[in-house]
Amino acid sequence: MIEVQNLRKEYGGFVAVEGSSFSVDRGEVFGVIGPNGAGKTTTLKTLAGLIEPTAGTAVVADRPAGHPEMQRTLGFLPEESPLYEEMTAHSYLEFFADLYDVPGDVASERIAEALDRLDLEHRDRRIGNMSKGMKRKVAIARALVNDPEVLIFDEPASGLDPLTTNYIIDFTRELSDEGKTIIFSAHNLFHVESICDRVVIMNEGEIVARGTLEEIRDAHGGTEYHVYATVDVGGAVQENGHFRHVVDDMDAVDRIRATVEDDGGRVTDIQTHTPSLEDIFLDVAGEARA
Amino acid sequence: MRPRRIARVARWEVSRSAGTVDRKTILVLVAMALLVGVVGVSVLGSGAGLEDGLYRVGVDADQSDGNPYVDVVESNPQFTLEETTYAEFAGGDSDADVFVDGSGRLGSDGTAKGDAAHTAFRDAIDRYNHDLMRVEVDEYAAYPVLVSIQYQQRSQTGASGSNSGSSAGAGSNAGDGSSGSTGGGSGSSDPSVSGDARTATGDGDGSGDSRLQIPDVGGGSLGESVDAGTPGAISPPFPFQSLVLAFLFVVPMNFVIQAYGSTIMDERIKRRGELLLVAPITSTEIVAGKTLPYLLGVLGIVAAITVAIEGGLLSVLAALPIALLFLAATFVGALLARSFKELTFVTVAISVFLTTYTFVPAIFTDVTPIALISPLTLIVMDLQGESATLGEYLFSTGAFYLGSLVLFVLGIGIYREEDLFTQKPIPAKVVDALASRIHGYRHVPLLSILFIPFVFAGQLLAVALLFALPAHLALPILFLVISVLEELAKSVHVYAGFARSRFEASLGTAVVVGTLAGAGFFVGEKFTHVVQFVGLPDLEIGLAAFGPALSTEPLVLAVLFFVPLVLHVVTAVISAIGASRGRTGYAIAFTVAVLVHTGYNLGVIGLVS
Repeated sequence: MIEVQNLRKEYGGFVAVEGSSFSVDRGEVFGVIGPNGAGKTTTLKTLAGLIEPTAGTAVVADRPAGHPEMQRTLGFLPEESPLYEEMTAHSYLEFFADLYDVPGDVASERIAEALDRLDLEHRDRRIGNMSKGMKRKVAIARALVNDPEVLIFDEPASGLDPLTTNYIIDFTRELSDEGKTIIFSAHNLFHVESICDRVVIMNEGEIVARGTLEEIRDAHGGTEYHVYATVDVGGAVQENGHFRHVVDDMDAVDRIRATVEDDGGRVTDIQTHTPSLEDIFLDVAGEARA
Repeated sequence: MRPRRIARVARWEVSRSAGTVDRKTILVLVAMALLVGVVGVSVLGSGAGLEDGLYRVGVDADQSDGNPYVDVVESNPQFTLEETTYAEFAGGDSDADVFVDGSGRLGSDGTAKGDAAHTAFRDAIDRYNHDLMRVEVDEYAAYPVLVSIQYQQRSQTGASGSNSGSSAGAGSNAGDGSSGSTGGGSGSSDPSVSGDARTATGDGDGSGDSRLQIPDVGGGSLGESVDAGTPGAISPPFPFQSLVLAFLFVVPMNFVIQAYGSTIMDERIKRRGELLLVAPITSTEIVAGKTLPYLLGVLGIVAAITVAIEGGLLSVLAALPIALLFLAATFVGALLARSFKELTFVTVAISVFLTTYTFVPAIFTDVTPIALISPLTLIVMDLQGESATLGEYLFSTGAFYLGSLVLFVLGIGIYREEDLFTQKPIPAKVVDALASRIHGYRHVPLLSILFIPFVFAGQLLAVALLFALPAHLALPILFLVISVLEELAKSVHVYAGFARSRFEASLGTAVVVGTLAGAGFFVGEKFTHVVQFVGLPDLEIGLAAFGPALSTEPLVLAVLFFVPLVLHVVTAVISAIGASRGRTGYAIAFTVAVLVHTGYNLGVIGLVS
């Protein structure tokens, strides 16, 4: 559904994105994560056709990014989506539906449905008089008004309260279940981890890790076993009066256990640790900086 | 462009903008509209009002009811009626500037103002009579006699009386056609009667005093004016009333561009326009849709003013390119400004420059064809009852139309995420705008041609500003200005092309694009021959700008025709080579090109002279 090849974007002398390549399958939720300035937003805006790449190609729904027909298949939610605050939610959505050539009756149904699903009240209230969460819901509804095949959500829950955030994450998951292809960017890696099928981690304009969460874990340490003992048999870290030994497979656990007993000690606990995306992200970002 | 999309965006812009205007603003706008309307109607109805009540006309208090000249006084705001007696007037105890009795005897108080009042009152009577005749149902009754007039030289002796502080000159007119009046039909032009008006009119017999001979009310005869100056008789003719009315067309534009600039800026500063750019609608459609309501609004106001002041279609057609240029310049300004503060500066600069550019030349509507560089001149002409040829219309409005087009085209080139929502330096945005229109060699000559309106307008402005200076001073300055403008038009887009990597930065490429830019400009320059329509080259300074006819020999003409081509190509190649080397290289090469160009111009003029 989405194909990015050797994408490069340069502003003056500054390279925002360098040599990015990835693809997204139909119906997939694809995460793009990275620290500030990593090139995430530039990548997403290039896919939306807002930014012309300096080099490389971006194809969305079989058409080059920015192509008018491609834009009809796309719903884009930018990180900041200032709305026309003097308009009501309903008139705002109607206007965009008209721009996408959605017939009036279909637009009315679609707008009503989107606002119902987003639980947005006060539809005839001026947007300027709405709360931040309500405005974000209007922005999401606008991204859906053309019933797009592809959705690009850049930080959809940025700055919202936990309740609204969870609502939006759940809604994104519902959209994914309906078969929408979604590219999702968020600083809250828990959200990414909870809804994304695959992710790329970007740093300083380059993709530094990619794949399913399992693949990335495997590539960056995978599952760890923490063996707590009363004695240190090498490389342990003291924690709360116990020595924590970290190993990455069960054979090593057995070896530590045997050694501890040989030394007259005993194993007090064994814990399995699966690194979160955040751990990996911090690890990768740290490595990149180093 | 799809009209339906443009109309949709336009409707949205109107409804959205309406939501941003509060009641107080609406009240202010309505008040302003009323003010403009009142000024227009007032100026139309009674002139500019500067001469209202200027002269006091004395009438005999006892005869005022039966005095037919009272109607003349009351119908013209220039005059104020003062009931007095002849004795008081003659004795200097009255404030009246002139005195008229029921039989049509008119005398001034002997002062310069009195003389002017005398002349003005005679003219007023003429107009009054003319108006009466015009509304007369029976045309033959109104104009029963067909008169063939043959003007003859005559002695000016009698006019000397006017210098004595009286209106003797008026008296002399009695013999040339203003006769037949009951007030003094037997009057002569004997200069001996000239003297103190108070003394002369003191005869009171109604005969023999030529100064008192004025047309009868209802008589329909036309008297000649004396030379005493009235504000309306300033030479050269100054179409004050028409200018004031024409200015009314420009006033609303200054307000509309404030709103228009704000809406463009709003899209940028608050990043609200980003989502429109993602929708399946082109930048051109967005800009056209956002601009259309403001253009139609201005045209609506212009049409209303035209109807109110009884102008014609020419006024509306002349106002259209002015409105377009106001909007186009504001559009580009709003794209380049980095804050509302900067936008304010930009719109004020646009208001001042374009108002000056359009208004100042129009002052000289009746003096010089250079005035036609402003479409406002066409409006003044229209309001004066004159018509304009198609050539004059094209000459006057062409630069405005094409300039607007170029500004919109360049502005739309940077109506994109990268330029709308970033704080790039203005020169970088200008380079972006130019580079956005370069997608190959073919665009290089095209842009050179498109810049011709700006060169044309710049040169005409320079001519207009410099024509009053002595030729030995004006010409060198003009040559330099011309060179700078033309070299800029040939090279700035070439520089943008190199700066944004549209061309390979090599010597060969620079020569190619330089040649194309120079040749394109040469073709565009020929459009300036439109000035032939209005005879501008008749002026010496105009000749310097647009070239004289040096020969009628075909070979010589051919050489003269193509030598500028060589010049333009050579200097454009110089600039292009510099542009391919970067900003500093371009600056140096551009300076060299300007010097070569100026030297060429001076050389040609040297040969001609």
